[in-house]
Parts: sequence; structure tokens; C-alpha cells
Amino acid sequence: MHLTVNGRARAVAAPDHATLLEVLRDQLALTGTKEVCDRGECGACTVLLDGVPVYSCLTLAVACDDVAITTIEGIGTSGEAHPMQRAFIEHDAAQCGFCTPGQVLAAIALLERNPDPSDDEIVEGMSGNLCRCGTYPKIARAVQQMARAAKPDHGH
Amino acid sequence: MATEIGGEQKRFVSTTVEIEGREETKIVEIPAFDPAPWGDNAPLGIVGTRSPRVDALEKVTGHARYTADTQRPGMVHAVLVRSTIPRGKATVDVTAAREMPGVLGVLTAADIATTLGAPASRLFDANVTYTGQPLAAICAESPDLARRAAAHVRIAYEPTTFAVTFDAAMAPDAPPVRGGTSNLALKSPLVAQRGDTERGLREAQATVSATFRTPVALHTALEPHGAVAEWEGDRLTVWESTQGIFRVRTNLAQAFKLPHTHVRVLCDFMGGGFGAKAYAGAHTYAAALFARTLRLPVRCVLDREGEQLDTGNRPASVQRVTLGATKDGRLTAIVCEADVPLGINGWEGGPARIYHELYSCPNVKTTETFAWINASAMQAFRAPGHVEGAFGLERAMDMLARKLAMDPLELRRKNFAATDEEKSRPWSSNQLLECYKQGAERFGWHWSPPRAPTSASGSLPASGFRLPASIRRGTGLAAQAWPAGGGPPAYALCRINSDGTATVLAGTQDLGTGSRTVLAQVAAEALGMRVTSVRCVIGDTERLPYTGTSWGSTTTPSVAPAVRMAAEDALATVLEAAAEMLDVPATTLSSRDGTISSTATGRTMTFAAVTKTLGEVMIIGRGSRGPNPQKTGIYSFGVQFAEVEVDLETGVVRVLRIVAAHDAGRILNPTLAESQLEGGIIQGLGYALFEERVMDERLGMPLNPTMHDYKIPTMADIPRIDAFCVAGADFMANHVGARGLAEPPIIPTAPAIANAVADALGCEVLEIPLTPWRVLDAIRRKADGGSRAGD
Repeated sequence: MHLTVNGRARAVAAPDHATLLEVLRDQLALTGTKEVCDRGECGACTVLLDGVPVYSCLTLAVACDDVAITTIEGIGTSGEAHPMQRAFIEHDAAQCGFCTPGQVLAAIALLERNPDPSDDEIVEGMSGNLCRCGTYPKIARAVQQMARAAKPDHGH
Repeated sequence: MATEIGGEQKRFVSTTVEIEGREETKIVEIPAFDPAPWGDNAPLGIVGTRSPRVDALEKVTGHARYTADTQRPGMVHAVLVRSTIPRGKATVDVTAAREMPGVLGVLTAADIATTLGAPASRLFDANVTYTGQPLAAICAESPDLARRAAAHVRIAYEPTTFAVTFDAAMAPDAPPVRGGTSNLALKSPLVAQRGDTERGLREAQATVSATFRTPVALHTALEPHGAVAEWEGDRLTVWESTQGIFRVRTNLAQAFKLPHTHVRVLCDFMGGGFGAKAYAGAHTYAAALFARTLRLPVRCVLDREGEQLDTGNRPASVQRVTLGATKDGRLTAIVCEADVPLGINGWEGGPARIYHELYSCPNVKTTETFAWINASAMQAFRAPGHVEGAFGLERAMDMLARKLAMDPLELRRKNFAATDEEKSRPWSSNQLLECYKQGAERFGWHWSPPRAPTSASGSLPASGFRLPASIRRGTGLAAQAWPAGGGPPAYALCRINSDGTATVLAGTQDLGTGSRTVLAQVAAEALGMRVTSVRCVIGDTERLPYTGTSWGSTTTPSVAPAVRMAAEDALATVLEAAAEMLDVPATTLSSRDGTISSTATGRTMTFAAVTKTLGEVMIIGRGSRGPNPQKTGIYSFGVQFAEVEVDLETGVVRVLRIVAAHDAGRILNPTLAESQLEGGIIQGLGYALFEERVMDERLGMPLNPTMHDYKIPTMADIPRIDAFCVAGADFMANHVGARGLAEPPIIPTAPAIANAVADALGCEVLEIPLTPWRVLDAIRRKADGGSRAGD
């Protein structure tokens, strides 16, 4: 199958029942996408398909042949982190870090879909991504800061 | 700290180290020199600042490599096959599985019998003792093929009677869970007492008694247990997600009958542990066995069901508590009898100890009865025992306050333990009273004497906003104590590199706690370098000096002093080299921000200039952790205040805010400390409201080994949290002045929330988690006129 991952065309040999998560991790060595529950309960495997967040453990790789797949490795550049990643660093929004790639992608997708979310909307938008270290207050702060920064009249 | 006896310096002495409530006496080496303690007024510019987590960039970019991400050339994959019954005899038929495409190997008990020594000699034992016990392992070309083959392992069971509850295990006709004649575990009944509680209760002017119940809680680290194993000749390398690389090394060396130095264990990034990842497991041994036979690297990472079923838990408890006090609120007796069903294995991490530690009381008696049951083994889970015990003790204190018509905060202040009364020794430092003061201020703690009972108890919010009629608000608090002094042995090296940077080498772990960051800060501080010039290398048993397992809130107080000493040792040599280059006495030199300057001449030189001049001359400082002060209780303390909202119609509890004030000595990095406090509070909130392994007592099978059915908090459950540490270095504890902070914050959260719920409802809640059913049940008992403290 042919996938477009982080802007690059990749040819992958995988069975039809292979999930996108398996292909990303085991075949393409994109291990930033994590496997935690493998049944759509935790959000650690979040990737973007044409900018829309999905649980890659519940997505068949064969179904992704005409969409742009973005994993955490496709966020920011090698020289510079994405502003959302910088906000996570600034607010210490990663403890063990295992859920962090999924959190960052969920946060980017949230602001993409709703550039001006209320605090409640941030909570709702991020509730599909679990964190066992309990980094939620810091993650919320990072996303809130990014939401404020995106507002044209920020500072008010 | 070197001890002089008869004019002779002793190099080795005995010292006591307290870990997770267990005391160990060790012979340790006295460090070659002893840095002066960093006291409260030490001029520190890096330690104590909000330095960003040194590995944050790797984490947010997905570049951090966890054990589960390890890929090795030619790597193949193993999965475990588990029992689906709690007790009986299994006959495992792997014929069909072996024929499946891509299968490279199968392991059952027959393959282990003569192969592995303890602690793995009974791996895949066909005598089933709990649901989820590993019975076989399959290795295949891919995880998918391994899983498919596993589905073709046929297991025939001869089920026998089992016991999955304390009562069932203690029944006269109970099956012998672990053989023998009794399911009484360990040294049950384990009695600890001081004074005479019967006299204390006779002297009491008020008493309360109640029975409290706590659930089995699961660690649920996001990165599952896992290992990748690879052999080179008779040398074994294992990447393991572990809190204790050296302990896993010992386990593997024993199991495979290898010299310790033939086993190398690595753990760089780690996706959480919370106590469950201290040892090698079935996955580790299976990966290593397959790797040896196949001569290929083998990965075995648990699936979520395996993780939830069989990697440890906080055991349940029933605590029958009686408190006695004078009418002005001085405790005269504390009595707790606890029943703890451990599982198929475990240790004495029960609820008792906090009953002895937290309050001043002349008469204290605890009796713990541990039972073996046919369920997976308990493992230390963040403040094991204290979390359960705090729920019983701190709920009972709340009930006592109500009985005395006394402010529960005042009751706790009045019974402050100025010394460790259990062990008749002073604390190294104890600022719990300051925590009470600052926490109460930030929370706006306000208590007023109870009014005459009204139909609607609980209070309305102070604002003009009116809540729906069914909503009640309440407030509560609870306190905490936890041994957090760490101790030797722990070693570190500090290498000054030819580019003028420094590398700290210490065989410790960073579970997500931030140890890598605070150790880099300590080294940077001691060297007079910037944090960005220090790299901290951890997690390798072969190339790094020994430090202990990261449990018991010991890593910072154990390793940071060794790192500081190593850095100072290295700096002393750098300054001597610089003295030669600058032609000044070394004693006139000091360093800051990477620059060495002389007070004598004002001349300066950077570290990089010194190392460049030295060329390939290498400076390596050596540090070790000295002994603990003897006869001293080294504890961290704290208090948390909670405000909740309870819906009387639905029984749903919502936590509105938590204020947490903790004392852990010097805080090396306030931002990381806050993250850890918030994390502990949030896990405590889960324990208070949602988390519970549900066991089907008829089938002997846990019903919720998934993240959907075992509910951990999400962002939507999080209250406003104001968590902080009171100022003050603990220079009695060690020369860095820091104690542990990882476990303390989870201890008081559940009782603080439960006390707030009781305040809102106007009746007692005796059992967690406070799911809607339990809350509605408490409301119904109150409506039925049931006893407030009944059991």
C-alpha cells in the first residue's frame, strides 16, 4: 500500500488488517505514536488524517491511502519545535512523556477546528487523551496559552 | 560525616535506610569528603529555580525512546498466554500454535523446569493460582502473528475451588491458596503498639469507631511492562521499562545463573511506573529465553489486558478504627485492625504505619491480618499502605472532630507529633504545622460550630449564585506523613568533557519524576555551570555507577548528594588545573555560569578554555551518598484541603478545588515539584472517586482489565489545584537538603475528598471509591436514620 506520511510517500507491505498504528510503529519506525490500550480508549496513538485527529489503533492502514497522515514526527521541523510543542515545554506539560505525542496532536487539531476555544471546550477537546502522571493542569495551561496567542486581539 | 573511633577513621559504617516503611540496615562507605550542607541561606542560583525539564524536547517531539519503542536488527516478537480461571490445573497444548505461520518458538512450564533458577523457576507453572497467570509464551515474526498463534494455544482446565476475597480465604473450608494449611500471610497478625490503648480508651471522653473499606487499585502506567532481550555469547542485554535497572539485573543473573556483570539492563525513557516496575517479570524471562534459543533480539511488551491483570495492584483493605480523645481534643488512643487480602504474593505494605506516625498519642495499637488470595500479586503502588491507612485514619479524625464539635484542622494541630513517637526519635525536620497554616490560608479554610440539624445539611456557596436544589457543597482536609529520606548506597561520576561541558553518570531512573533534570541542576550548581552545559546519563547497569531502585521517594535524597559530591570533586580538580594556568592559588578560584574567576587577580577563564588547554587530560569526579543520621525520622509531610459538590439526586461527586501544602525539605525545582504534586493529587482523586478493580467473586475473574472500564481521571475530572511546598531545607537529612516528594501527594487526597463529601451530605462515607451508587447508598442510610458511623 502507498501512504503519505508527514509529507512523504511511503510504500508499505502490510496485511489488509494491519492498523495504522502497527504500520507506523513497526514498519516505518515512527515510534512517537504510542500503543497503550490498543482499543480506542486512551488517545496515546492519536495521529492526524488530513488534519483530523484519529486513534490510529482503530484505523486500518489500507483505509489511509488517499489522505495525508501526520504523526508527531511531522510536527515542527528538525530545527524548530512547533509553537504547541514549545508551549508544552514552557508549562512542563509532560511528565513521563508517554501520552505527550498524542496530547500535542490532539491540542493542535483542537485549535485547528476551533481557534478560539473556551476553557471548557479545551477540557472537552482534550478529554479523549489520558495521562496517568496527572499532567492535565499543565497541559490545559499550554493549550490555553496557545489559544490566547492565536486570538487576533490577544492581550485583552 | 567520617566517624572517628579511638582516633582512627572508619571507612565503613552501619546505617539505617527506610524504604516504603521497611527499615534496612546496611554497611556503607563513608564518602571521602563531605560537602557542607546547603542550608536555607546557601547562595544557590540553579537549584531551586524553575529550570525546564532537560528532556522535554525529546518528549514533545516523540523522539524520546522508551523500552516499548526499542527496535533491534532482526527483532522478533513474543506474547504471553494467560489463564482464564483463578485456580486449578491447566493442560497446555501448543501443537496447533506451533504450526501457525511465522511462529518461531513456544515456551511452557516444561521448557522452564531445568532452565531457569529462582526467581523464575516456576514460570508458566501449570498449577493455576490466579486469573491472568502466564501459562505459555509464543514467539513469532511479528506481534500480529504471535497474537494469532496465541489464540491457537488450547488450554484444558481442571478448575478447583478458589478464594478471591479476604473472607473466603479465611473461611474454615477455604482452599489453600499457596499450599500449606492456612491462607494467613506473612507474619499475620502483625501487631504494633505503644502504650496501652485499653487504658487510653478508658480515659477518653469521646470515642468514635467505624469500619472503612478501600478498593484494589491498579497502577495503569501508560507504558506497559516490557522488555527487549538480546544475547552476545553468554552476555545478556535487556532493555526493560523499570524503576530498578540493578534489581532487574540481579533477577536475570539469578534466573539465568549468570555473573551479574554478564547482564546489562538499560532503561532510558520510561512511561511511568508508580511502583509496579521494580522487578523482572514473565515478559522479561520469556524474551531472554527466546532470544537465547533463537539467537535473535526478542521483544515482549504486555498488552493492556495483561498490564491490568497481572503487574501488581494496591490491595484492598478493611480497617476497623477506634479513636479516643479528651474533650478538648487530645488523642488518648488510636486503634486499627486491618484485613488485607494481598493476592498470590506480596509484602507487609499495609495500612498500619501512618496510624503510628501522623499524630501525637500515647496509646496506639494496630493489628494487620494479611491473607493470600487467588488474585494477582500486590506490588508497591505510590505510598503503599499509607494511602489506604490515611483514608481510615483521616476519615476517623474527621468523625472525631464532628463528635467533639471541633474544627478538624484545630484537632489535627492539637495532636501534631513534634517527634516520631513510635520510634522515640526526633524528626530531621517537620513543617507540618506550617503546611496547615499556609494551606488553610490559601484555601480560605473556615469552620463554624455545627448548627442544629436541618433537613438540608451542607453549605451553599458564598456567592449569590444559587445551586440547583439537589446540589450540596462541602469542604474537608486530610494530612500525611511518609518516610522519604533515601540513603546509601548511591554513586555518581561527574566527567568534565573536552568541550568544557559536564556529564553526570549515575545508574538511576527517571520515571517521569524529573530526576534527570534535578540531578543536572545539582551538578550545574556545584560546578558553577549552566544547566544546559550538563548532560545527565542514566539507566545503564554496565556503564554507570550503582544507585538503588527508584521507589519509596528515595531517588532525589539518595542520588542528588552523590551527584553534588561528584561535581564538587571534579570542580576541585578543574580549579587546580586553572590555578596552574592562571598562576594563582586554587583557593582563590571559584566558578559561576561556566566561568572560573580568581578573587586574587580578577582573571577569568572558562571551563572550555581550561579543558582545551588540558587537551585529552580527563577530569572525573567521584561522589557517593553518605550514611543517614542515626536515630532520626526523615519524613515528608503535608496537608490537602478539598471542596466538592455532590448531587443528591444522581450521587455524582465533583471536586471543585484542592489546595495542597507539602513539606519535602528543599525543593530543587518548584515547577517539577508542582507537576508531581498535581499528579499525586489527580491519582488520589481517581482513587477517591472512580478507581476499582472489580472482581467477579463467583468466577474469580477481574471484570475490568481495560482503560474503558478501569476509570482513571481525564482532564474533565480535574479540579482547580493549588499545590505548593513550604520553604525550608532539611540539612539534617543530607547535604543537599531535599527529601522525597513522589509519593506524599497521593496520600491525603482521598480522605480530604471523602471528608468534604461527608460534610456536604451530613453523613459519613465509609468506603471508596465514591461512585454514585455508594454516595446514594450513604444518603439512603442517612434518610433511614442509620447510624452515622455505623458499619
